[in-house]
Amino acid sequence: MGLKDKYAVVGVGYTPQGKVADRTSLSFHLEAVSNAISDAGLKKEDIDGLIAYRHFPPCPGEPDLTPQLLAQHLGMTPAYMYQDAN
Amino acid sequence: MLEAGICNYVVISYGHSGLWGGGMRQLLFSTRASEAAFGHFGAVGRYALAARRGMHEFSRGPETWKHIAMGQRKWANLNPAAIMHHKPMSEEDYFNAPLVVEPFRLFDSCQMNDGGRAIIVTTAERAKDLKQPPVLLMGMGLANPSNEIGQAQYMAGPTGAKPAGKTALDMAGIGLEDIDACQIYDCFTYTVEVTLQDYGFFGHGEGHDWLQGGTIEPGGRMPVNTSGGQLSEAYFMGLTPIAESVMQLMGRCGQRQLGPRTQTKEPQIILCSDNGGTLQSHACLIFRRG
Repeated sequence: MGLKDKYAVVGVGYTPQGKVADRTSLSFHLEAVSNAISDAGLKKEDIDGLIAYRHFPPCPGEPDLTPQLLAQHLGMTPAYMYQDAN
Repeated sequence: MLEAGICNYVVISYGHSGLWGGGMRQLLFSTRASEAAFGHFGAVGRYALAARRGMHEFSRGPETWKHIAMGQRKWANLNPAAIMHHKPMSEEDYFNAPLVVEPFRLFDSCQMNDGGRAIIVTTAERAKDLKQPPVLLMGMGLANPSNEIGQAQYMAGPTGAKPAGKTALDMAGIGLEDIDACQIYDCFTYTVEVTLQDYGFFGHGEGHDWLQGGTIEPGGRMPVNTSGGQLSEAYFMGLTPIAESVMQLMGRCGQRQLGPRTQTKEPQIILCSDNGGTLQSHACLIFRRG
């Protein structure tokens, strides 16, 4: 019983990191997702699940970044979306 | 969702303008009046409270934590993407850094940064046909005794790491002796000490001895947070340790790659943690080379 050896991580997406001026939190999500998809050798259309990792309160002036909002900006319609709780 | 066949490829993403966009500073304003009345602001204060109790019960505090801060910095010095890549840290640097909230100095705290990180998860079967060598999830354990320290039933552990670690190891069918390296959620140095202790890598209060002689550093017998971690690479919640576990097992870590290049064991199995709610919620993941 359990998950042992049934699932795999197949791609990692990075972005610039540190003090990066003039960027929104959303833009980092979009870049990280896009880079992870190409790292895995997949296409955007292959992705059918979207989970936003647990997160802090939104930055001043930014909306809360729900998976629904990420999906809209990514141009995806995932079968499953989830927002991790803290 | 993968098991049920609802999804084939799941992306997990994090993005935050934590520094330039002021996101991390928002934590200072999420404090309740009952805490603020005692000068208790933000995440540093909450973890400092737990760490102080830890020092009362088992930890030697900064004398132990300096090994974690300096050891992880050595890894960051091998990682061109790490925020602290060009900044070596001496013992003097560690102790000369200003106190933020006692007993934490500046270098006991993780980075505040902008950026994002994402991973793709699929079935082991589908993974075989993809571009990268797959990294398999061997075990997972979750334990969430509370979701904030104000509602905690303990202050100095054992944290959720203890039951979560046992569940994950049992699922993987292995013991700690099979673990080649660890990527531990390291919002603060103390988090690394108490998490490794609760997993059972050393006995109660024996962290100081265990860390002697560069245990977690390049060349050490149990490498920890080999990207530099949240303390010295960058903070992306649990995706800092998860991404590094995966990249190490894929063999894509360049100068900091575990194995002959860093005089460490070639990694087959890496243990990884995430925690939240000030040492309350906890996830332990065990990955292996596919």
